[in-house]
Amino acid sequence: MNDKQDKQDQQRDSIDFGYQQVARERKKGLVANVFNSVAAKYDVMNDLMSMGIHRLWKRYTIDCSGVRQGMKVLDIAGGTGDLTAQFARRVGPQGEVVLADINDAMLKVGRDKLRDKGHVGNIRYVQADAEQLPFDDNSFDIITIAFGLRNVTDKPAALRSMFRVLKPGGRLLVLEFSKPITPALEQVYDFYSFNVLPKMGQLVANDADSYQYLAESIRMHPDQETLKTMMHEAGYDNVDYQNLTGGIVALHRGYKF
Amino acid sequence: MKSLSLIPWLVLETLVNELLSRDANSPERLQKLAGKVLRFDIKELPFVVTVTVEQQAIRLSTSTEGDADCWIQTELGVLPELTDNANLTRLIKAGQLDIEGDPMLAQQLVMLVKGLDIDWESELEAKLGVLPAQWLSNLWRSGQRHMKEASKSHRRWINGVVIEEKRLLPARIEFEQFKQQLQQLRATIERLERQVKQEQ
Repeated sequence: MNDKQDKQDQQRDSIDFGYQQVARERKKGLVANVFNSVAAKYDVMNDLMSMGIHRLWKRYTIDCSGVRQGMKVLDIAGGTGDLTAQFARRVGPQGEVVLADINDAMLKVGRDKLRDKGHVGNIRYVQADAEQLPFDDNSFDIITIAFGLRNVTDKPAALRSMFRVLKPGGRLLVLEFSKPITPALEQVYDFYSFNVLPKMGQLVANDADSYQYLAESIRMHPDQETLKTMMHEAGYDNVDYQNLTGGIVALHRGYKF
Repeated sequence: MKSLSLIPWLVLETLVNELLSRDANSPERLQKLAGKVLRFDIKELPFVVTVTVEQQAIRLSTSTEGDADCWIQTELGVLPELTDNANLTRLIKAGQLDIEGDPMLAQQLVMLVKGLDIDWESELEAKLGVLPAQWLSNLWRSGQRHMKEASKSHRRWINGVVIEEKRLLPARIEFEQFKQQLQQLRATIERLERQVKQEQ
């Protein structure tokens, strides 16, 4: 009886880190190590791995956001600031974009990149944990999290935290890797993820393990319908999603009414 | 393939922004429209085109998310006429144009592109050097002159055909009369042929 109880406790206290199960409190540190390691080459690797298509996914996200001049936008796990740069141009000087990331190294790369490109004045940089966002209730018109949710330890807590800081009428956009919708594409994608990506990571970023983690973490991330249900459970209304590039990526959208 | 369908729009957007960046007066004209969203529902196109104006560029998309400051429903051929205020009432009455929001925004947007004034000679000079740039510019100018003259003479010829030849054309009633006379003549010939055959 005690053995069974111990196993249940272990399961409750452990979480996936790629295909490994690790203690819940260790995941943040392990994810941080991955991003500390890849931060400098993050943009180059994104372009290489996705053959530039990540730019189209991000642009599609912006187009679906309904962003207008003067709005306040939160870009969680904003990393090197691709979405932030586009939002900053659209909200104009009257609006504000907050680039938030839990990882200091990524935030620094993002801040330097955006400043070098002349994006100053309407962007704020905040090191923040998506599970406990350090912002007032009802303070953002739009929240985005692109390729970040799968690295969060407690996803339901993060979705609830985003819901809290979203203004009534505001929307959350989750751009994330998902499940390909055709078996043939899934096979090609699996081969690419587990055979090509780590080698590419080794060659370009001198880090195969981080890209192995990337491939594994994508497989462990909830599929389209599961994430939709999670968003409903966190309080979002009118939740829908759109598959991009055959479901390799999905854009989920939910509103706070 | 939603993401791939963005490519033509991104190419067009890049082209327009590249042109805008080469005109020193563009920032001033963009400033008047910055932050505005215009949506064009063109009868001939299967999608709506949304133009979002930023401080230094425009963005094109087929998304209908969010409100627009100006929503225009019209036909492709009508777009150039939007530059002239005087045309708006006529077009709306004729059912060729429907505007929701501020109509001035559409005019300002058309003028933004139409009013582009790029010093191509300087642009070429920076890329190719002075002599090749001058040679290309002269070639372009003489080509333009030639095209203008050719188009003027074609227009003259078309005018001649349309106006002079039209004057020589018979009126409908004259044509009907001619047709009747022709039928009568044919009947007379047939009658005469029959008579000739009988007498043989």
